[in-house]
Formats: sequence, C-alpha cells, structure tokens
Amino acid sequence: MSNAPAEAKNDEKTPAEEIDLGPANHVIDKYLTLHGNLMPVLQGIQDEYGYVPKPTIDLVAERLNVYPSQIFGVLTFYAQFHLKPRGRFIIRVCVGTACHVQGSPRIVETFFDKLGIGHAETTPDLRYTFEKVACLGACGMAPLAMVNDSTYGAMTVQKVDQIIADYNQRPMK
Amino acid sequence: MVTLTIDDKQVTASKNATIYEAAKAAGIQIPVICHDKKLNPFGGCRMCLVEVEQMKGRQIPACTTPVTEGMIVRTTTDEIIKARKMVLELLLLKHPIDCPVCDAAGDCDLQNLTYEYKVNTNRFQDEKFNWKIDYENPLIERDMNRCVHCGKCARICDEIVSYGAYSFINRGINAKIGTEYDGPLNCEFCGSCVSVCPVGALVSRPFKFKARWWAMNKVKTVCGYCGTGCQLTLGVKDSKVLTTIYDENQGFHNGQLCTRGRWGYQFINSDKRITTPLVKKNGSLQPATWEEALNVVSAKLKEAKSTPDSLAALVSPRLTNEELLLTRKLFKDLLGCDNVDHSAGYAHTALTSGAKESLGYPASPSVVADVQKSDLLLVINADLYQTHPVLGFEINLAVKRQGSAIQIVSDKKGKLSKLPEAKTSIYKPGAELLVINAIAKVILDENLLDSSAQSTGGFSAWQKGLESLSVDQAADQCGIAADEIKAIARNYAKAEKALILLPTGMGYPGHGKELAQAVINLALLTGKVGKEGSGVLILGEKNNSQGAADLSIHPTSGGKSALDIIAGCVSGSIKTLYVAGENPVVSYPNRKLVETALEKVEFLVVQDLFLTPTAAMADVVLPACSFAEKDGTFTSALGAVQRVNRAINPVGESRSDFRILNDLYNAVSGQPAFTDVKAAFQELSGTVAGYAGLSYDTLGDEGSVRPVSGTATFVPVAAAAPATESGKLALVTGSALNHSGTLSVYGEGPMLVCPEAYVELNREDAKSLSISDGDQVAIKSSTGELRLKAKVGSRLPKGVVFAPYHFADASINTVTAGSAVTFVTIGK
Repeated sequence: MSNAPAEAKNDEKTPAEEIDLGPANHVIDKYLTLHGNLMPVLQGIQDEYGYVPKPTIDLVAERLNVYPSQIFGVLTFYAQFHLKPRGRFIIRVCVGTACHVQGSPRIVETFFDKLGIGHAETTPDLRYTFEKVACLGACGMAPLAMVNDSTYGAMTVQKVDQIIADYNQRPMK
Repeated sequence: MVTLTIDDKQVTASKNATIYEAAKAAGIQIPVICHDKKLNPFGGCRMCLVEVEQMKGRQIPACTTPVTEGMIVRTTTDEIIKARKMVLELLLLKHPIDCPVCDAAGDCDLQNLTYEYKVNTNRFQDEKFNWKIDYENPLIERDMNRCVHCGKCARICDEIVSYGAYSFINRGINAKIGTEYDGPLNCEFCGSCVSVCPVGALVSRPFKFKARWWAMNKVKTVCGYCGTGCQLTLGVKDSKVLTTIYDENQGFHNGQLCTRGRWGYQFINSDKRITTPLVKKNGSLQPATWEEALNVVSAKLKEAKSTPDSLAALVSPRLTNEELLLTRKLFKDLLGCDNVDHSAGYAHTALTSGAKESLGYPASPSVVADVQKSDLLLVINADLYQTHPVLGFEINLAVKRQGSAIQIVSDKKGKLSKLPEAKTSIYKPGAELLVINAIAKVILDENLLDSSAQSTGGFSAWQKGLESLSVDQAADQCGIAADEIKAIARNYAKAEKALILLPTGMGYPGHGKELAQAVINLALLTGKVGKEGSGVLILGEKNNSQGAADLSIHPTSGGKSALDIIAGCVSGSIKTLYVAGENPVVSYPNRKLVETALEKVEFLVVQDLFLTPTAAMADVVLPACSFAEKDGTFTSALGAVQRVNRAINPVGESRSDFRILNDLYNAVSGQPAFTDVKAAFQELSGTVAGYAGLSYDTLGDEGSVRPVSGTATFVPVAAAAPATESGKLALVTGSALNHSGTLSVYGEGPMLVCPEAYVELNREDAKSLSISDGDQVAIKSSTGELRLKAKVGSRLPKGVVFAPYHFADASINTVTAGSAVTFVTIGK
C-alpha cells in the first residue's frame, strides 16, 4: 500500500518560525530541577504547541545545557514527537490484519483522495493530519478509523465523506 | 590484580581492566571497530566477541566485560570467527564498498578486517543507503552511506571535545549519525571525529584525492602553533605535507588535535611562501642570491658590533630551542647587543619575570598530568579554550570524567562555562588582579591559609600589602559579588588539590608579570605548589614560548625590551633591526607606531616564511623554513622538551633559521657557532637549567618533561580598580579558536572556518547600537579607527566587546596600544 498520493514534496527545510517561547519557558521552569528532565520537558512542549517547534529545541538546549543534536536524536527516536505542526484533527485508520481483510486499504485510499494528503501528512490549513496505524486494539469493529478520541467502526467509503463533512464544520478551537 | 587465562596464556591485569585491555597488554589483539581507548566502552559493533568458559560458551563483547579471577577466555574459536564474519557481512551489506575512491582506504578498519577475515562473499542482499553527502561545510566530508554506526564521532565530540555536534538520529534501519535538524555540520571543526572514524564516512575535504594512505611517509613531529605542544604526524608525499595523520599513541593527548593543528598545515606548502632572498633595490624588494643577501646583512651586523646599542633583534618564539640559542649567541654573546626580545615584550613576562621572581624559575610548577588529577580547576579567563584548545580537552575530561570542579574567573563566558556544574564569575575587564588579591584576602581573613605559607619567604611583607584591601570594596570595583569572591576563596583553599590555569599571549596584555605573581601568591598561600594535581600552569602562547623563556630570549642586562625597541626605532637610537619570525606590524600594540618605527629604522632585516606586512617593509628579506622543514626541539608550555623532525625539503631556496643564523655568525666571527643542531642542543643541555642530562638522541618520540627547581617567595602585587570610561565600550583582545598568532592566516583550513577579523558584542549592546550580526561597524579609540564585521552573541557581558588579533587586514592593533582594556566607541 502506498504511503502518499504523489504530491509535490514539501520543502525539507523548516521555515523560520516565529513563536511565543513563553509556554516553553514555563514548561522548562516546571521541570528544571528534575533529574532526567529532557523527556517531560519535550512532552510538555509538544502538549503546548501540538508539536516541537525548532526555536524551542534551541531554548531547551540552552536552558538544560543539552546538545541540540542530542535533543534532535531523542525527538526523532520516539514516534510520539512531531517536528512539524499537526492538524487539529488527527485521523487514524487501522491497517492491522483484521482491518486489512475487512478492506481498510480502500478506506485509506479514500481519505488520501478526499484530503489530498498522504500518510503522516497534514493539510495546509492545519485541520487534518492523517496516519495509518498498525492496530487500534478494536478488531471487532474492523475496519476501524479514529478521529482524535472518537472511534468509527465498520467503516465504509461512504462514511469517509460523512466524517469529513462532520469535522469540516467543527471549530478549529 | 586479577589473574586469568586468555588463549591458554596466563595473564595478569588490573581488576578494572576489560578483557580487551587485558588481552592487548598480553599481546593478544582482539579486533574492534567501535572501541577507542580514549572513550568510554560502547560495545556496539560486536567484532570483539570472545568466549568465556565460565559463561558456558556464550559469546560476549571483550571491550565492555571486566576481567574476573580465573576467567578462561578464548578469542579465536571457529564459532567466534564465524560470528565476526557475519558482523562484517552485515556491515558490508549497506556499505557502498567504494574503496577505490575512498580516502580511508588503507587506513580503514572495515577494509582491513574484511581482508583479515577473508569475507569475499556476502550471504545477505539489500539495497544500499542513498543518504545525501554533506559537502556544505568547508572541512569535513560526511558520507553517511559509508558509516558503520560505531558512534565514535558522536562520543568523542561529547566526551572529549564537549561540543556535541552529532547524535544518532531516527531509528531502526533509518538510524544514522546526524546533526541538529540533520543539517550541514557547523561546529568548531577540530576534526576529532575524522580522526576516530574507522571508515571513510568522515574524511578531510582539503586532503580529498591528494594521496593514497600507503603512498605517504608518516613523519612524527610537534605542532608548530600553540604552546600545548601536541605531537603530530605529517603525511608527506613528493616532499609536500599533504595532511596530518592521526596516531592514537602520540602524546598526552592521544593524537587528538584542534582545528589549527589538524587543518592548519597548508601554510607549509603554501604558494605564498617566499622562495628566494629579497633585497631592496631602487625602493622595491627584488629577488637576490643568498650570497648577496647574507653579505648585505653580515656587513651591517659587523658594522653594528662597535655600537651594539644601535642594534636590536625581535625573535619569534616559534623558532626551535637551538635557533633561539643561536640568536642569543649571535646577538648577545658575539655582537654584545642586549636589545633582544620576543612576543611584544609583555606576552612572556608572566613567565620570565613573574614566575622567575616568585618561584625562582621562568616556568610553571605544574605539568599536564596535574589537570586530570585535580579536585578544582581555577581557570583565569575562559579564553583558555581558545588559546590552548587541546588543553581544553584535558579540562573537559577532568570535569566530566574525573569529576573535578571548575571555577572560571573571566571577563567573558566561554565554552568551558558550559561544562557540567561549571561556575563562571565575570569581572569587569582589567579587574583580574584585584579579583585574585581579593580571593587571597578572604583566605587570610578567614584563616584558611596553609601552615607552610608563613614560613615562605616574603610572606609578611606581602600580607602587609594586602592589609588595606577591603573585600567589599574590591567586589564593588571588580563586579563580582563579595559573597561570590568568598565562596571562590573558600572552595579554593579547602580543595585538597587545586590547579590554577593562566593563559598568556599577545592578545592578553593584562596577563603579564603581576597576574602571574598574584596567582602564584594564591597557590603558595594555600600550599598548593609542588603537590600532585595542584599548583599553577602559566601557558605560553606559541609552540616554543616556554623554550624562549627558558633560554632568556629577552633583555637580561639592561637592554631594550620589544616595545622599547620599537620606540628606539622611532627615536632613531636603533639603526639596525633584525626581525626573525615576528610580525610586529600586525601583532604588536599600536600598528601606526610600529609602522613608523619600521619606516624610520635605517636597516631592517626580516627572516620569515611569508611576505608579511612586516617583511614588506624590510631592506632584506630572508626566506626561512617552517617547522616541517627542520630539525630541533620545542619546549611546550607544559614543560615537555620534544623533538621536531624534518619532514620535507626546504621549500624553494628557503633555509632553516638555524642555517641562516649560523651562516651570519660565521660571516661575522669567521667560524660557525655550531656544527649542527645536535651540537647546539648539547650546549643547551649544558647551560640551561633543567635541560641538563637531556640528550638530543634519547628524547625519542615521547620527549621529556624537564624538571624545574627554585625557591618560592611571596611577591606583593598592587591592584588598582579597573578603569572605566562612561559612554564607551571596553574592548578586550585575544585569540580566536581557529587561529594562532599571525601564522594560521596562511593555513587554508583555519581560514575556511574563520576567514576575517571580527568584533564580538553582546546582544543588548548590539540592539542599543542598532547593529545586527554580520554588519560592518566602525570602532574608534584614542589610538585609531577600524572597520570590522560584527558578531553578535551572548558570550560577553554588557558593555564589553572582544576582537581577535591575528588578521593582517583590519588588525585590531590599529585601535589598541598595549593596555589590558581599550575604551572604544562603535557605530555603523
């Protein structure tokens, strides 16, 4: 199964970001004296911004006296961290064995089609991020999709339209 | 000690040794890729797997497993050979095997082991990586397709260099060594990563496609830049120095080098070298024969013999001990002229008058081994890392591996300030003496002094001199809080082993006699001199600054010092000036004054490798050889007398300073001073204190630390409050990390990283002056005006600016005149 619709590749370089470092500083203040504080600090920053912006890496490096290269190593090792802005709504479609036999590849392809993005990509308006996942642990509901914390079982191609129509109406917070 | 059996051989090893180390000591070589004796054990590559009988035939890594009593180890069973072959097959699976175009070929662990284990087929098949090669930095080509993931580059950059440019990024099959954001490498470019890379993943760009490894002669010598005295191996082919070669068994530093040592060698075969003598005819320098040039010079020297006061010599401490001895014999003994000096006259006084008066010898009482044995390192000026980078590595290791505390007392922050738990106390520029005296006063007031202090000579007079000093007032004046000064004093006095490190140099006019004496007083007061891991290291700037101090290459019987010589040229009392390797126009204070002096002096001889701004003003220019073209000895700031070995033939018609000076001596006196370098060393060992018993032939590759002895005494040092000028910025000068003196600007490597002069200032100052990073700014002082590129950062405190002194274009001595601090205004 392909990972993405053939799309012009995003510029690899992250554009210069101008962000408010206040929340990041606040997170660092909270864990400053904790031994082994890098992980909670990075998790806290991701909670604040939805991803880990580059300027916060430099800030963490400076304030925790950790090499920026090592922080980048940690961020790229763990799947939980994101270096690019994530969508307001994270759509996950299960491609595990049960969902696969129940036709999840077609669900995935339909999302690709309708959203114009591929696996692990985000729409330019930052509304949706799409991810294929190996198993969501609810094989009885196969094929399964999730949007943030809501689950949608027994998915069909038609339901994809309904889900997108529904979430298009929702506020961006 | 532990006794074990390795391959049926009884082996005794320390209980902390690993199987690998025990085997190596017993002459049994276990193959490794990721292991390096300088780094913490890693156990990543699985090449060193061995079998231990007690572990039921399990294969375990020798490099991480400690020895135990009675252990029975087998290093080469059929099973082990099979396992190692598979490790190699797996490494070769992704490796491009592009040995014909790889500069590491011949010096590649993977290639050598593949050959040794006869891996001529591979049972596995997979696609190769297709990582983009990093050609974006000037010195290090990073081809991650060749990488075997040993992690040595990331580990050395962290553990020893303490820069942390690399880390493993991503994971699983996509894991690779990367930088922050996987961008191009942008670091201090010491090249430590290149030296330890077991394959060709990291190679030197300036050396690329220059020569096969096996086609080069490897000549061991000593680095010709700073006073640390790192040992060096030059890669030579067709009488050209093509690269520096890493040898992990060289020196206290295990072959590690800094940017200039590793990449600064290109000045040796630079096409800017002067290849023939030049004599001024009709107002311009014209090529001449050696005979003609030496005749002109020797006639002038003979003439000056009757009026030796009208003659002067400025000699570079880059010369060998033998050449310095010859200089002394020629000018002082033969011509009767005491106007002989070096390093602007002030950059050696910390040793030649400071240490000499306080300790009885012009050298440091401590040696390099003390750094890693110390409990507390007191670093005066964070620039130590810039002036002596490889000693900086030793400090990193002391702090990170041995757990030494580090206290930096400085006018600015530096890289050392980032070490774990490092404390940096920032004083106002020019207040260093006051700070040291205040620390001593606290120790006296709180009675923390050592019992030996009071019986040391000069104690009561010195103590009396400090009576009127108020610590609170000193704190106000120097900018460090009284409590902080007290804490430093207590920690220093209470540390069982504490070492003070004091860098000196042409960029540091404030680090002279008085500062050296103040720190020695402090060490004597607390009984820290003469104890292992304790004492004082006063670091001469150049490769043989210590040798020049040992040989007293400065006025010793009332002659003129360097700055007086310059003044003498201006006033007309000096008529003939002989400059050997010095570049006063760029490096001495007040460029305009120096230029006037050199214009006025009747006859100027310059002996140098390059047509420096000083040489360009000469009447006769004699082309000299670099350190790679001559034999002799250098004495490091750490006291090691080490052999310099000739690697190539002299470039063009250039001659070694030894030969030039010996020929002149011959022309003046009718006979040469020495038959050869060895004879000069012999005389040196007979006449210079500490060199007795050293023999040129037995110095060997390791060199020898010459002993020092003398009677210590307290010397009162008066300290005034630092000067201030309202509305002006305080300019301090010094060394840039990539440069040494005015020589490294002829080396390609350092210039690729740090190509031009700059002035560094604090973000706040930059903001209030509306200056951005990279702007050209005008700097004005009472001495002159200059335009420089601005570098904006957070290293400097508000109100202080820094500029390095190495660059001939826009040299900072246009605005400085020799005081520790110069007050300037900066604008666009």
